[in-house]
Amino acid sequence: MEKDYVFDLLQKAVEKGQKLGGEFIEARYDDLQETTINLTNEMVKQSSSLHRKGIGVMAYYNGTPGYSFTPELSKESIEEATIRAVKLAKSTDNRNTIKLDFDEIPSVKDKIDAKLKKHPRDFEFGEKLELLKRGVGSIKEEIEPTTTTGLYGESYGEKYFVNSEGSEIFWVPIVVDLRMISVIIKDGQQATAFEGTGASKGFEFFEMKGSSPEEVGKLSGKTCKEALDAVAAPAGKTTTLVSPQMGGVVVHESFGHLSESDFVVTGQSPLSDRVGEQLGSDHVSIYDEGITEYGGYYLPYDDQGIKTGKTVLLEDGILKGYLHNRGTAKKMNAEMTGNSRAINFLFNPIVRMKNTYFGKGDLTFEEAVEQVGTGVYAVDMSGGQVGLDGNFMFNCSKGYLIENGEITKPIKNTALSGNILELLKHVQGATKEIKIKTGYFGGCGKNGQNGLAVGYGGPNVIMGQVLVGGAQ
Amino acid sequence: MSLEDIRNKVLGIADQTVKYARDLKVPSAEIFVIEQSTTSLTDNKGKVDSRDGIIQGIGIRAAIGKQLGFASSTGFEDETLKSTLQAAYNIAKVSPENPMFNGFVAETKTAKEGILDSNILNLEADDLIEKCNIMNQEVDLSDKRIISGSFGSNISHTGYAIGTTEGCLASSLTTSFSANSYFVVTEAGDRKTAGDFINSREIKSVEGIAPRALNKALSSLGSKAFGGSEVLPTVWEAREAASFLAFAFFNVFSGTTYVEKSNPWSDKLNEQVASKELTVIDDGQKPDTQACHAIDSEGTPKQTTTIIKEGILQTFLFNKMYGEVAGFATTGNAQRGGPMGGAAPYESTPSVGFNQILVEEVAKNLNEQIAEMDRGILITGTPIGLFTANPVTGDFSVTCNDTFLIENGEKVHPLKSVSIAGNYFETLNNIRFIGNDREPSGWPIDTPSMTFTGHTISD
Repeated sequence: MEKDYVFDLLQKAVEKGQKLGGEFIEARYDDLQETTINLTNEMVKQSSSLHRKGIGVMAYYNGTPGYSFTPELSKESIEEATIRAVKLAKSTDNRNTIKLDFDEIPSVKDKIDAKLKKHPRDFEFGEKLELLKRGVGSIKEEIEPTTTTGLYGESYGEKYFVNSEGSEIFWVPIVVDLRMISVIIKDGQQATAFEGTGASKGFEFFEMKGSSPEEVGKLSGKTCKEALDAVAAPAGKTTTLVSPQMGGVVVHESFGHLSESDFVVTGQSPLSDRVGEQLGSDHVSIYDEGITEYGGYYLPYDDQGIKTGKTVLLEDGILKGYLHNRGTAKKMNAEMTGNSRAINFLFNPIVRMKNTYFGKGDLTFEEAVEQVGTGVYAVDMSGGQVGLDGNFMFNCSKGYLIENGEITKPIKNTALSGNILELLKHVQGATKEIKIKTGYFGGCGKNGQNGLAVGYGGPNVIMGQVLVGGAQ
Repeated sequence: MSLEDIRNKVLGIADQTVKYARDLKVPSAEIFVIEQSTTSLTDNKGKVDSRDGIIQGIGIRAAIGKQLGFASSTGFEDETLKSTLQAAYNIAKVSPENPMFNGFVAETKTAKEGILDSNILNLEADDLIEKCNIMNQEVDLSDKRIISGSFGSNISHTGYAIGTTEGCLASSLTTSFSANSYFVVTEAGDRKTAGDFINSREIKSVEGIAPRALNKALSSLGSKAFGGSEVLPTVWEAREAASFLAFAFFNVFSGTTYVEKSNPWSDKLNEQVASKELTVIDDGQKPDTQACHAIDSEGTPKQTTTIIKEGILQTFLFNKMYGEVAGFATTGNAQRGGPMGGAAPYESTPSVGFNQILVEEVAKNLNEQIAEMDRGILITGTPIGLFTANPVTGDFSVTCNDTFLIENGEKVHPLKSVSIAGNYFETLNNIRFIGNDREPSGWPIDTPSMTFTGHTISD
């Protein structure tokens, strides 16, 4: 579809909304395509080719938002959606007591085309399936699995945005992902290994070191084999070295969500009104960034057309700020952070994370292990749950004992739990190298908008007082 | 547009796309069409957000013998229907055979529809604001212990249809109304949360929702440490028992895991798997539940299936493909959007999921169960970490922030966060009481309050 045609249609929504009394209008068109393949026991258990396209219009009246959407890209449908959005904003204004209006800023006109070496749309379904077959073959070189599952996922498309300030933004989201899952059921016990990751890159990602199907499959088989001989982790409060992947999930789920300003402005977050407080040890810093030098998800603009940057949430243990949309930034007299995101046109943008990660320390990996002395090295997780009070529980699906300053035996699946605000006080150090992961699978869930692509990571971080739940 | 207009619309699109499939000479195709209109309003401590719109989607499976392809798209434009069909067909051409696949549903056969409330079509955002006003007016938000109070309401009406080149053309309708309230409270450093809701196919009164939520949150303040580790009986409020058992039943009721040989109950058919007081059915025909439909999501009539009768395992739940592979018939449990709901239904192929699991009531309400407990724990909130239960061994270890210590048949005081550990399969055989107070849980499983023995409580 021609970009100018789409921008013209969106501009009509802005004009119509303003005529109807909307004080500020944002209109966007998302056109996203996804392909997924699930190869279980060498049979295509599920595959899909998804196409999500439609328009969303956000109208603001007296600092009150109203959002309406339509899957039809026609002048009539967009007008209808705009009428409904303005009506929603006006009719809910009396009840809305937290007015989130915002100041005008200079318009932005930007068009960012994808610079991919190998765009996934140029590869046939069969070539994507072949990636999975190669990965599964490598699993079987390591083990005799009960079940193998290979997952391929990709999402790419186009995002258009206009607003009352005259901004016109076009950019191309992309993520590709490959996972290899091995399962062995033996003597009433189950050993499972999940390996793989994604990137905001093209098909060339699967040729990069560490990301090829063969390497991911081999690692999955090796991890599954180790898990068969795993020992129970010692139950109780334990010093834990968390990997970039594990730490990234912990920081995203348990701290990142608490720093989202919609929870802060309503007082639901325990971080409310605490900027400037020393919440953690001197060893802990936490950032949220749109485009990082460490990889992760590529996010140049949010869904309010705000250019993303690097947001400092926690620095040397001191709370520095929150994640904002335009309205909460003004209300809290803070800089805009570009964190207003919607998973697709069916939803209004809400405050979400970008790439969230722990800051680096000055230890080598060996020094970190030695500093832990006796404890657990938590490498990966499968599933987690958190509360708005900072309590969390994650299932550590891959980990090792640390004994006498050395990594020794693999441990069985175990729950890691605690409260993030307590845990931050017990961060004892971090390694020098940061890694940030992203992917098609998983993603972030909030308010019914599940599976939003984000990045998460950091260095290896030493945390004291992590409650290890013991073996299952 | 009336509900019947929506039915005719989705049926027409399914029928038209089947014709396109024949024109394109696709050997076999199944068309899933859905349209949903939705309006929602949330008020979080005075921050109001509202949203409405129409969701339109199609999901198409194309088959060449046992080679399957699937594609989906938003929108109903002719070009979209044709390009989605072509995409599914293209994938089928290059996909390896699925030896389990044995064709799409071939005949049009329907069961009962659930309750439909056409008044929902006339509601607008103003009506949802009024519902929030009513909830708000029932509580005193000036109570200094309240950090935040939130209210929300949602309405939707949905029509979906299945058409196949084999001759099935059927549809189903739903109307939905929900309202909820949620509170965060604090006192002397103790912080607690609680919510309440209704989720109905008809417009209902919202009175009582907010006071129940607030009272529950406030009554949990003043919690004390449990102090130690002890094996005790646990009594679960009805909604919490439902969330607890959902994770127990999810894997073992599944016909998919039965076929794939990862179901620990695979060899337990007609055997005792639970206390003899336990009878569990899967009900796709209870008219007041969201699961009640004329057809499931591949066109099979929904039905009622007894899974456990007096503790004895009767069957598993199946869709057409897994049922036929297992040598059973489908139980009308084809579901799109994930086994516990979630993703847009047109974006996934039919898997096996729960309709509405119902644990049959026996006797004794919650208070009577508490009265018969010398020492134990009352669970009043959904634990964190239920998903970490081992699906093979049944071992679980969860954290719960909302519990009370019970001594001599009475609630003594709320507890700070405790861990609850045990084994699901042993738990099902260690049922002390099944209550007579079943209520809608918000999960695809409803149970009465229940008491179990043998759980380890620690902090």
